[in-house]
Amino acid sequence: MTTWIDASCILIVFSSLAILATYRIVGIIRIFTLQAFVLSLVPLFLHADALSGRDIMLSLGTVILKAALVPYILLWAIRHISMRSEVKPVIGLGASIICGALLIAGAFWISLSLTLPGKLISDLVLPCSLATILLGFMIMVTRTRAVTQVLGYLVIENGIFLFALSLFEAMPFLIEMGILLDIFVAVFIMAIVLNHINEEFERTSDTLIRSKTGERL
Amino acid sequence: MLFLVVAIPFVGALAALFPVRKMFRLWLLCAVSFLHVLIVASFWTHLPPSEFSGYLVLDSIGLLLLSVTSFLFLSVSIFMVGYFKHEQRRNRIFVTCLLFLLSMMTLVSVSYHMGLLWVAVETTTLLSAPLISFHRNRESLEATWKYLLVCSVGIALALMGTFFLAIAAHDLNTLFLPMILSGASSLSVNWLKLSIIFLLVGYGCKMGLAPMHSWKPEAYGQSTGMVAVLMAGGLTQCSFLALIRVSQICFKTGLSDFLTSIFLFMGVLSLVVPAVFILSEKNIKRSFAYSSIEHMGILILGLGLGPVGIFGALFHMINNALAKVVMFLTAGSVAQKYGLSRGNDVQGVIHVYPVTGVFLIIALLSGTGMFPFATFHSELMILNAAVISKHYALVGIAVICLGLMFIGIAKNVLGLVYGDPTKPVLAKKEDFFMNVVIAAAAVALVVFGLWMPTPLSKVIHEAVVLIGA
Repeated sequence: MTTWIDASCILIVFSSLAILATYRIVGIIRIFTLQAFVLSLVPLFLHADALSGRDIMLSLGTVILKAALVPYILLWAIRHISMRSEVKPVIGLGASIICGALLIAGAFWISLSLTLPGKLISDLVLPCSLATILLGFMIMVTRTRAVTQVLGYLVIENGIFLFALSLFEAMPFLIEMGILLDIFVAVFIMAIVLNHINEEFERTSDTLIRSKTGERL
Repeated sequence: MLFLVVAIPFVGALAALFPVRKMFRLWLLCAVSFLHVLIVASFWTHLPPSEFSGYLVLDSIGLLLLSVTSFLFLSVSIFMVGYFKHEQRRNRIFVTCLLFLLSMMTLVSVSYHMGLLWVAVETTTLLSAPLISFHRNRESLEATWKYLLVCSVGIALALMGTFFLAIAAHDLNTLFLPMILSGASSLSVNWLKLSIIFLLVGYGCKMGLAPMHSWKPEAYGQSTGMVAVLMAGGLTQCSFLALIRVSQICFKTGLSDFLTSIFLFMGVLSLVVPAVFILSEKNIKRSFAYSSIEHMGILILGLGLGPVGIFGALFHMINNALAKVVMFLTAGSVAQKYGLSRGNDVQGVIHVYPVTGVFLIIALLSGTGMFPFATFHSELMILNAAVISKHYALVGIAVICLGLMFIGIAKNVLGLVYGDPTKPVLAKKEDFFMNVVIAAAAVALVVFGLWMPTPLSKVIHEAVVLIGA
């Protein structure tokens, strides 16, 4: 099953890189959905020989919350604030990809010097989760729109979650579900605040402010 | 009992969601907070047994935070009865979020599992976001957004730190605090160090330590006084509790040098940064926010300065909360009397509202740690601890920064209190409910400043032993 876990890890890193290289917000949300779906498969690969109810529940929870509800809320939010594409990234897409590649290399280099106690399921988990976290930060920093910043935050969370899923069993099931639920509520509240911001800025808008809104959201 | 203190506010929050009269919700909030205070007061006679197979445990450290939280909510709920007499906005979401927040802050102080602790702290972050944007204007929404993003990312790092801690405790295969503490010798030191750095940055971000403080002036400046009190006195100190848990583990594993050097560095930075910014600050709530950053710095310094410092820090935790009640509730009542938009050019408050004017001066003195207020006492203890451990340069820097803070806040507060009176928006009278809360907190500050009750000093001593520096 290690092959499958390796493949999922690589897919998750690639999808983060793809988000970094995508201009349209709907496209970014689609790639994120794919990433969350792949992530939700990881617990199934972990104990493929003896699949426990806990793994299935965890996988189901991840699919429902991260791959279905979160993208749905984000799509709802951008429909309400009628926005489709990024204004302009702080640095160009090409440069972003090169920076992203450097970050991935950095993550692999860092993880060389970190030795994990206990047996490893896959060598790729640690570097891939670090790379995903770094790419998430990169997305947050280089994008000016609020929705893309939320997506950056979600990519960081995915990286952390990948790490958590594959490395140990110290976290009780309820706590893991609590973490998942918290992230979902975070996105929910962010979408509502985004909507309020948009309403408020439209209500008091004149041309000058509208140009500002465009930059901020 | 422990389950009950978490569950009662939770049920109250669900009840507040129903479409009922505005005043009913306020009285519900008062009733729940009062009940909460009563139950917490009963914990002072004897600590309740642990519940849910060790997830919920109340120790002396948790008891201190829980009492502070409980007191803050009671005072805020009484204050709100007066505040909402003159407030047209609906309070359904506001009261519901407040009650959920009380439930989650209680959970923070009783959770004995590092994962559960993280979940509770993250939930408090999310619940406080709708509270900040209560006024729904452009500035408050911007402040909410900044707060949400900065703190969510910070807390995500704390989650990473929690996972690193789990790796460090791989042989124990658990995140229960007592088991980690008893098996401290088997922790892997390198992973523990990595985890400490992530946890410090994460929870420090939520606590508003410099340089992760950028959300604080905006969030406190734009939210109403009540929310600012709960954040400055309650939420930030919940994260402080999380850092205390981290330092418990560190002291047990013999990493105290590593930890204290980071604590001292962060503490000094959190004293210097607000002292630099405060002098150019014109808005009173924002200057109080800088004062809050400084107090967090003092708490962290105390935690890094050995048993005497820790005693001072735990005592300061209580005093800071009381001082924040006086500061932000007074600021909130001034903001309501003069209207929100005119915060910067109001003056002569004492001529129009004598009581509020006096409260503003008390806020200045207690917030900056002047005699006879208890903040003076606890700050002195921490400086004393610094002298004992021969950190003379640190004492010098701290005194200069505290002086600068006094100048900066005094300039704003005195400008507001004296001068030609500005005409208020509506000639509202002083409100009994609002004033009685602020007066009670001020009296408590003076009492603690002059005399420390024996049960309190006993509990703080027990807590210092538990932290075990």
